[in-house]
Amino acid sequence: MIKFKLNGRDVSVDVPEDTPLLWALRDELDQTGTKFGCGVGQCGACTVHVGGRATRSCITPVSSIEGAEITTIEGLHPEGEHPVQVAWRDIQVPQCGYCQSGQIMQAASLLKDYPDPTDEEIDGVMGGSLCRCMTYIRIRKAIKKAAAALREEKSNG
Amino acid sequence: MIKRLLAGAVGAGVLGGLGFLYYAWYPPIATIEPPKASSFSAEQIERGRIVAAEGYCAECHTRTDNGGGPELAGDYKMETPFGAIYSSNITPDPEMGIGAWSEEALRRSLRYGVSRQGVHLIPAFPYDHFTKMTDQDISDLYAFLMTRPAVHMARRPNELPFPLSLRIFQAGWKLMFFTPGVYKPDPSHDALWNRGAYLAEGNAHCGACHTPRNLMGAEKKGSMYDGAVVDAWIAPPLNDKNPTPTTWTEDELYQYLRFGVAPLHGPAGGPMSPIPHRFLSQVPEYDVHALAHYFADVDHAAERQGHDKAALAHAMEESKKDLIGPNTLDADARLYQGACGACHYNAAPMPVLGRPELALNNALWLDEPTNLYQVMLHGLTAEEGQSGIAMPSFYNALSDTDMARIAAYLRRTRTTLPPWTDLEKKAADIRKTVKTIPVNSSH
Amino acid sequence: MGKLERIAARQDREAGRGPTRRGVLLTGLGSAFMFGFAREAGAAQTYPQNASMPGNGAFEPTIWCSIGQDGVVNVNIIRAEMGQHVGTALARIIADEMEADWDKVRITYVDTDPKWGLMVTGGSWSVWMTWDVFRQAGAAARTVLVEEGAKLLGTSPANCIARNGRVVAGSRSVSFGDIVSHARPTRSFSPDEMAKLPLKHASERRLIGKEVKALDIPSKTTGAAIYGIDAKLDGMVYARPKLPPTRYGSKVVSVDDSEAKKVKGYLRYIVLEDPSETVPGWVAVIASTYPAAIRATDALKVTWTPGKTANVSEKDIIEHGRKQIADKTGGTCVFNDNGVDEAFSAAKQVFERTYTCASVLHYQLEPMNAVARLQDGKWEIHCGNQWQSLFLPVIAKALQVKETDVVMRSYMLGGGFGRRLNGDYAVPAALLSKAMDGKPVKLILTRSDDMQFDSFRSPSIQTVRVALDDQKNLKGWQHHASAGWPTRVMASAFMAKGDDGKPYDQFAIAGADHWYDVGPMRVRALDNDLADATFRPGWLRSVSSGWTPWAHEAFVDELAHELGHDPVDFRLSLLTAKGRNAGSAPDSVGGAKRQANVLKRLVEKCGYGKVQLPPDTAIGIATTFGQERAMPTWTAGAVQVHVDRKTGAVTCQKIWLVLDAGTIIDPDGAMAQTEGGALWGLSMALFENTEIENGNVRDRNLNTYTPLRITDIPEMDIEFVASTEKPMGLGEPGVTTIGAAIANGVFNAVGVRLRHQPIRPADVLKGLSEKKSA
Repeated sequence: MIKFKLNGRDVSVDVPEDTPLLWALRDELDQTGTKFGCGVGQCGACTVHVGGRATRSCITPVSSIEGAEITTIEGLHPEGEHPVQVAWRDIQVPQCGYCQSGQIMQAASLLKDYPDPTDEEIDGVMGGSLCRCMTYIRIRKAIKKAAAALREEKSNG
Repeated sequence: MIKRLLAGAVGAGVLGGLGFLYYAWYPPIATIEPPKASSFSAEQIERGRIVAAEGYCAECHTRTDNGGGPELAGDYKMETPFGAIYSSNITPDPEMGIGAWSEEALRRSLRYGVSRQGVHLIPAFPYDHFTKMTDQDISDLYAFLMTRPAVHMARRPNELPFPLSLRIFQAGWKLMFFTPGVYKPDPSHDALWNRGAYLAEGNAHCGACHTPRNLMGAEKKGSMYDGAVVDAWIAPPLNDKNPTPTTWTEDELYQYLRFGVAPLHGPAGGPMSPIPHRFLSQVPEYDVHALAHYFADVDHAAERQGHDKAALAHAMEESKKDLIGPNTLDADARLYQGACGACHYNAAPMPVLGRPELALNNALWLDEPTNLYQVMLHGLTAEEGQSGIAMPSFYNALSDTDMARIAAYLRRTRTTLPPWTDLEKKAADIRKTVKTIPVNSSH
Repeated sequence: MGKLERIAARQDREAGRGPTRRGVLLTGLGSAFMFGFAREAGAAQTYPQNASMPGNGAFEPTIWCSIGQDGVVNVNIIRAEMGQHVGTALARIIADEMEADWDKVRITYVDTDPKWGLMVTGGSWSVWMTWDVFRQAGAAARTVLVEEGAKLLGTSPANCIARNGRVVAGSRSVSFGDIVSHARPTRSFSPDEMAKLPLKHASERRLIGKEVKALDIPSKTTGAAIYGIDAKLDGMVYARPKLPPTRYGSKVVSVDDSEAKKVKGYLRYIVLEDPSETVPGWVAVIASTYPAAIRATDALKVTWTPGKTANVSEKDIIEHGRKQIADKTGGTCVFNDNGVDEAFSAAKQVFERTYTCASVLHYQLEPMNAVARLQDGKWEIHCGNQWQSLFLPVIAKALQVKETDVVMRSYMLGGGFGRRLNGDYAVPAALLSKAMDGKPVKLILTRSDDMQFDSFRSPSIQTVRVALDDQKNLKGWQHHASAGWPTRVMASAFMAKGDDGKPYDQFAIAGADHWYDVGPMRVRALDNDLADATFRPGWLRSVSSGWTPWAHEAFVDELAHELGHDPVDFRLSLLTAKGRNAGSAPDSVGGAKRQANVLKRLVEKCGYGKVQLPPDTAIGIATTFGQERAMPTWTAGAVQVHVDRKTGAVTCQKIWLVLDAGTIIDPDGAMAQTEGGALWGLSMALFENTEIENGNVRDRNLNTYTPLRITDIPEMDIEFVASTEKPMGLGEPGVTTIGAAIANGVFNAVGVRLRHQPIRPADVLKGLSEKKSA
């Protein structure tokens, strides 16, 4: 049994320790918002947070995150109202939507590191997240909108 | 994890021969009844805990294969070219452990590399460092070890062939390479430095990994802290031969040793991973400061760090070139961007903690891509490096060719050093050393 | 409790319930503790039951929509949701005509049923195909609601209007929900009756063309949207294929699972017997988890005798096509005007160029997958699919059952781009379930499996030539194109008929049948049978219109320079809108005039020929009619490119597009589709391609396959011409002009002509050095 925290709750999974976190989340814990894309950590669809940092779950063995805190798209915000999610809806970013859980998780992590990101900083961090519908223009826009909302939240709070 | 085995040392005793018999002979020390826990004060046991932590005893005296073993009960497997050897049980079990050892017997083993029974210990047990420990530290360590739970567990027999299995041969090695004696403070330095030097050269036995060894497996005295290969990793130079563009300053060293991650140089990985988290985070801050202070002197940080600001600015500038202009069509740049950039991209002025800046990391600046490859293949668990965050394992995600492409790209774009050679073959070689192979989601 | 079956729960327990989400998940994790999550709720989307099922007492004037007693309007969507927000666009057509309150509109993506007719989502057809019927369906609902509402209000229908979910008579009104619950209308309409209903005037539209939020988006921001790969059924096992060395003709010689047996969770392997011949030579591994299936498949040793195409290369296919083009016989002509041959034999000069395009993979982000099981005597196939009508019979044939015994359940598609028009991936899932006595089997292809098994865009070769008289006047035009024919391979009944009555694949030539007046024209489509034999050619976003303009729009540019004309003026001079290019109602009113119009507007916008640009930087132009001649979306595109002379790298700095697609139903969705399309065009022009090596595609993942990423996006300026004409498609036209515009831009920047797509730095460097030495 490998134990960790998932979206704030203690969970454990009885899988071989070399099982990728992705499949533990999707098939054992039914958190299917995290997607399988390339399987080699190069498309970003499987991005979750490990200790608050965006991490490719498809190539992260579940044993290596034992004891860590994992956040998936389902746990980013209890009502789906994380400023990044809100901006994603306002700007109408998703098309097919398949990559968007990963994009949102990566973007949320980006904004912790770069609260007021330039295009270049967005590219640098989001360059690993593939969107086959090519919603990139809107991803940039939504990240900036979310950044502004987060800054406002901070200055008010 | 100090499991660097002195391959040469095992056989070195051959040179010794019978002439050393007199020199080599130590009498057994009488057994004792295991002392009662109450015979040690709580303060002494606590001091002993710190000594044990600073010497990483549990790292080599706890089995990790076969599902792991009880702490300090030994049976930790170390591979040598001659066969595996297994560490001893140092819990106070009178039969299997050191329960029947007197304090004197422990002192002799640490200071002279001889067991209670009078048997020469293989220098995989770094008594060449422990010899520098003070009587007080040894006494405290004894108190700590004797108050651990006794584990009645035998280690597996060593697999060394005859005659290498004869411990008498170790005596010759000692004659050639071993100088016993407690650490002598250097009056030209202050107390903090001396504390650091005492720990580094003694109990913490840093040189065991970071100093290159001769053919006999002894540390080369003239090359102290020049860096060496350990368990298919490179223990980087700790002196001014360290090649990273920004200096390992006292603060960088402190963060690294205490928390497992240095803001500029990144996280501890591989055999170094447990040192901060399992041990140095559990000892007085003063001692970690002392180690950092000492090594900042060893690497001449004070003279070198004038360049750091410019080096940092340069690194950050280079880093963003992946993203602009013609580079974006470079297939290797794209591979790097897809596989690594999301976590390793940094923007001026400073790398973000948790986003290790590869341009500043040892891995790109060492003579070989060994550590870069190791980290690519293994990743870092949440227990390694910066606590609670993980790096995935690219074992299945990157082929040897892909790894070579990334290594060449980073070396070319992030350093001023000549290209690495034979990158694909080296990737394949390092890949072979990986023990647990993750499930492949790609093919 | 055991694991919930999401799908079964939807069907069995939630039938008739209002909007559902993916429900509450309660998953037992051993006896130690429980783990529970309630999903965020809120998206206005109903997931389907067996068929559309109006709630209790709902009014269902047609099969397309129902109005509940609570006023909720449910619209049945038979199109696949793969990012076009098609449900939102189509529901809006009905809702607008009905005068519904948009906040009460829900959509249901229905499962297959013969009553829906042709279920296909592709070719940018959805809005165009649905426009008339959905307006009629909306009118039918409005008519009845007004009639019944008038009765409730004690007045005549003539005194009533429908507005925002209510029937209004002066100051009094009654809601649609109240009408349904009090009047219980039951009237329904036949198609003939529907067709006669009066429709609203364009000026009366209140939803069409206005900004509204897409209904499928919220659940895509919370992880709640359910894709085929998310399906989970009770007792389900997992499968992964071991793919044969060739797409066709490989035969299994032996299977050794001694190593696979060592994998914990491995259950068995199955050698597929496929009467439909969709997946010949397949072996699959069944395991209790997907990671175990992956491992065991890696460990399984299978030997095959490969099919005949085991050594075929991309070059072989292109050379085969070159020979086909050189041969005057063969193929089928879309246009074959009188006088073509005469024009060429009388020509003073024949100007000819040949263009090639490399293979392109779909790389839709959700790898192919399907779950199949036998439930209550029916085979259920759970997966996202773009053309259910095409593959139901194939699945039935594979299973050797009647078509009516197979039902496909609808899911969100993690990318379509045409890949899921080909439902071949559903067949092995069905066969595996059959081999497991109907047990639910979830087949997932890993990414490299998916790429190897892709039915990708065929490599193509095209030759365009014109006959010129001694005054350099254009006297005749020929366009010959050879590529694999997806429609022949998969849907031959849907092929069009050429001038000689022979069927041809319109999706392997459309776009070449342009609206320029160039004298007598011959447009000949050639089926590259070596391509068809080697792999399964696929429809890929904008199908042939993604590559035929690469030839004719680059060619027109070359020709303009050859003749000493400005390329834009030259094009405008050819867009005369005469003869067959005059257009016709309802789809192509105005004809080539509208194409000229978008081109002129584009030139105004981008400053082509006017702006001063830095060295090695230039604007290139191309224009098309989007997708198909019969359904033209008039398109003009410009790009600003920079060429790095040292590396040969071409950077696209800006894209301008002007499109006239008739009425724009969903402006934001139209914009999103066009943005995505244009970037696809850019990606194929500069970033992504594969090649066939030894009968298979070379690339197996993103380590070598390098589609466009966020770092590569140029500035974009997209404009739609305001129009009330019938809406055309927008999923694909964005793609069509970009490649040729880039090639033309590179020529304008550094004088190098490129005739192979993708444009590779090495080709640019070669061109530069040839130019230098010349």
